[in-house]
Amino acid sequence: MASCHEVKEDSKILQKTNKILLMGNPNVGKSVFFTHMTGIHVVSSNFIGTTVSYTEGDLKIGDETYTLIDVPGTYSMEPTSEAEAVAVRFMESGASAVICVLDAANLERNVKLALELQQYNIPTVYALNLVDVASRHGKEINAAVLAQELGGPVVPTVAVKSEGFDDLLKALEDVLQSDQIALCPGVCGGCSSCGGGDQPDLWQKAKDITRKVTRNTDRNPSFLDRLGDSLLKPWPGIPLALLIIALSLGIIVGGGKVLRATILLPLVNQVIVPFFKMLFSSFVPEGIIYNVLIGEYGIFVISFEWIIALILPYVFLFYVVFSFLEDAGVLPRFSVLFDNIMRKIGIQGGSMITIMMGYGCAVPAIIGSRTATTRKERLIITAVVCFAVPCISQTGALISLFGNFSPLLLVLMLLLSLFIMVIVSSILGRTLKGTVDPLVIEVPNLLMPSAKSYFAKLKIRMKGFLVEAELPMLISILIASLLKETGLLDIIAVYLEPLVSGWLGLPKEAVIALILGIVRREMAVAPLLSIESLTALQAFVGGTVALLYLPCISVFGILAKEFNTKTAVVIGASTTLSAFLVAGMINQIAHLFI
Amino acid sequence: MKTNVKQSKTAKNLNLYGAKHGKSYVVKEAPDLGILKCLGVHEGAEIFKKHDYRLGGPVLLMIGTCELAIGKDIAEQISISEVN
Repeated sequence: MASCHEVKEDSKILQKTNKILLMGNPNVGKSVFFTHMTGIHVVSSNFIGTTVSYTEGDLKIGDETYTLIDVPGTYSMEPTSEAEAVAVRFMESGASAVICVLDAANLERNVKLALELQQYNIPTVYALNLVDVASRHGKEINAAVLAQELGGPVVPTVAVKSEGFDDLLKALEDVLQSDQIALCPGVCGGCSSCGGGDQPDLWQKAKDITRKVTRNTDRNPSFLDRLGDSLLKPWPGIPLALLIIALSLGIIVGGGKVLRATILLPLVNQVIVPFFKMLFSSFVPEGIIYNVLIGEYGIFVISFEWIIALILPYVFLFYVVFSFLEDAGVLPRFSVLFDNIMRKIGIQGGSMITIMMGYGCAVPAIIGSRTATTRKERLIITAVVCFAVPCISQTGALISLFGNFSPLLLVLMLLLSLFIMVIVSSILGRTLKGTVDPLVIEVPNLLMPSAKSYFAKLKIRMKGFLVEAELPMLISILIASLLKETGLLDIIAVYLEPLVSGWLGLPKEAVIALILGIVRREMAVAPLLSIESLTALQAFVGGTVALLYLPCISVFGILAKEFNTKTAVVIGASTTLSAFLVAGMINQIAHLFI
Repeated sequence: MKTNVKQSKTAKNLNLYGAKHGKSYVVKEAPDLGILKCLGVHEGAEIFKKHDYRLGGPVLLMIGTCELAIGKDIAEQISISEVN
């Protein structure tokens, strides 16, 4: 149960022989099965394409330990995106068994994939998931007849409520022990033993099987079904969507401020920092080391002030809200409602989910853009995220910065970021070679998120933030502290004065923000908070530089990995150039009027 | 009167984008796109057009119990006929 990592390179894992593959259409709940069977939490959501890479974990059955793999969802073994190609490679590499998860509410399409999987001659058990949703839609599936038709055991499950897992594991054990390949029932997708079959044949077979095993009952739409329908109509869908966005922002900004003022700031200023000051004062003599530890930019002062009091409340509340919207299935509805606007700026509605992810962190958004069907679309999404979408850590810092002046500055910054998004997307849409495919998206049912997987996901994300952000932040704080204590900062400031003070109109202390911003995006904002004489205009100009500035080191790394170093350098250079250009122009124009 | 003219025009060459919503249709021809086939939009498939969106927005349709949104550019290329 111990090993779990999202693996980027799959050549070694493909060679393993004791694999059990979790296969199925996107958004049928494979990741929930994986979490339950291995005890390893992976992030799942209620829309397609959450698992774009794969995750492996150990699964003990009898005396044998197998490697269970959560394979990205695929509609067909003829892949249409990179994520689907991963699924095909896994099936081609062979496995001890396959757990094929079927969506009982959309059986025909799922049976068609099951028939395709049979071509690979791997022992298979079928988990008939979402039987509760099917029943709400007036469909009852006869699992016994389906098992007969598919030639393998079929176990009804409701994964989010952990129903049916024991039976599924038992069926899996039986299949592994019997060491028998799923018997060809004569309806399969065309293994060599029955002569093969093309796609239209498969659809017809899937249709026949679905008809045979389905019984129509009374449709019993729940409140959520009706709300899901309303969210898809322009009226009242668009006002409802705007209300959801406004409420989310209210919870993140307002709630974050309350959390910060009532709990975190007093905790840091009255308990944590005085404790470390007292501790180090007792044995560290005053001097550089003392200042690096607990001086103005001391590691034990700044790291708590910035990370806990400044950033953490907003990061936490962002993921509280975003994870809920993800699991409930709200986001694909936004994609449908706003597709017409997105088309006008050169992308399609489906990209909206990936871009929204970027408001959390650019790294998962760039990885998530793998679901884009063309390279051009991937590049546009990535560029938009790098240029115009502040990550939540940076947003937290901006909220704190503008909170000292007027909330209007935050609204202006939001409008500026939307404006830049439109410009970047429109320019790339017109200049990049290639096409952007129109929206084709499956709209999932609106669901009340399962508390277990919701909290597990929240925990993974917060842990991820604390672990991944902590080290680069500490490094950048150490750099800041050393630069200040050694006097290097003043020397650099002299060289950068024409840019920082002349063109951007910022105080010379702001230089440190530009240096630290390379490491973490919020660090391009945080140092401005400690400049007491900062004016509202300087705060806005500084915020603009930070918004557009270099993507952080992690983003640079992921750009180089997902695309190539050239793309990373081009994006990095153009964001930085535009940061100085736009922010400088704002400063110069504002000075014409002030 | 205007609506009648529009309807008679689309009836001759009915595509998913121009067709009336709230009705069932059978797909006569669909573009050769992997994702469409995978989602079940293929020749002979029965679909229900649920809604369309203004200003070049997508078309919302049902295939069985599955709800799909298809962008305007593709929806225009899907030719359909009414279910008798």
